Amino acid sequence: MKNILSLAFLLMVSLAAVAQSKLPPIDKSPLDISYFPENYPVLKIQDKIPEPLIARVIYSRPQKNERKIFGELIEYGKVWRLGANEATEIEFYVPVKINNAKIKKGRYSLYAIPDSDKWTIILNKENDTWGSFRYDLKKDIVRMDVPVQKQGNIAESFSLLFEKAGSGFILNALWDDVKVSLPFSLQ
Amino acid sequence: MLPNLLRIVSLCVVVLTLGFCTPKSDDKSNLPVIDSLKMVPANQYVSADQSPMDISYYPPEFPQHKLAGSSKAEMPVGRVIYSRPHKKGRIIFGSSEKSLCPYGKPWRLGANEATEIEFFKPVVIDGKNVRAGRYVIYCIPFADKWIIALNSNIDSWGLAIDAGKDILRTEIPVQQQTPAQEDFTIVFMFATYGADVVMAWDEVKTVLPLVFSP
Repeated sequence: MKNILSLAFLLMVSLAAVAQSKLPPIDKSPLDISYFPENYPVLKIQDKIPEPLIARVIYSRPQKNERKIFGELIEYGKVWRLGANEATEIEFYVPVKINNAKIKKGRYSLYAIPDSDKWTIILNKENDTWGSFRYDLKKDIVRMDVPVQKQGNIAESFSLLFEKAGSGFILNALWDDVKVSLPFSLQ
Repeated sequence: MLPNLLRIVSLCVVVLTLGFCTPKSDDKSNLPVIDSLKMVPANQYVSADQSPMDISYYPPEFPQHKLAGSSKAEMPVGRVIYSRPHKKGRIIFGSSEKSLCPYGKPWRLGANEATEIEFFKPVVIDGKNVRAGRYVIYCIPFADKWIIALNSNIDSWGLAIDAGKDILRTEIPVQQQTPAQEDFTIVFMFATYGADVVMAWDEVKTVLPLVFSP
């Protein structure tokens, strides 16, 4: 495994060396950021912030490109980085609760193990890493199973977005015909 | 055919909506937060952005190195999160008000959200100590130099820069580059004294040196 990784890395580096004279192009799966409260930066400069900043997620957005996503491109039962490129990062600006577990404020990586009827969402403390290739179970903070909701509208780009729910909030993950919702409460 | 029609209709809706969102006054609540670049109706939840976001690390490619085991460090030294507008045949930097980034006016060094730079350990910029932490970085471009500012008003949209929250300003020279570069780019590069933050767009390139404290 380690050899394959090193080899893949050497390849990446040599490709990078070839392209050294040129600065990096735009990524095929562009990075994006979602805040809770939603659109926090826009509301901030308009002096319309409804409540303090609670969370944000930084993730890359792969496209469906006419492929079947879950069960094929993203295999069932395997850890997925919930995006592309760098591992998806979620940050809490206040302490929150997931599945009754208390989560301190700070940065975490977010992964998922998709299945046909449910996803296991994983919060992990290994930050600033690439993908889920070195995902380390020992660094898990909490796991939670959430049901898969099928939807008629196809989401072309993978999307993560927050939504207010009661006294807490939800992180929705949407791609292809699948939606899952991860509920958070405030401590 | 039908999907194409839908696409055209939704594009019209977005164009019309953008038209209505154009601010009519200087009232702060009417700031033009929807940028003209941000109009691709491709996804009913959140559209993929015309000026996609990107992230650059120091050391360069830190997450890949961490993955490959060639970096033992838990944390990078720095990273920048910014959006990448395209030139699209426009005049970018210039003295004319029609330039996208006119001389003398603050520019968010990107698009959409204010560009964020984070240092995971203290650095020195232009002889001044900068604490570890998260900052907004923006510039005021001129023909021969850029003023670079670090600002504490983080998690804000890039159109309303509050210079009262600047924590540091420095000037760096403008270098010309050919060929012109289509996408705005910020990357960290190795330097003997620490790192360079290279900012490049169109025919302009600037370099902000970062010195790492021993």
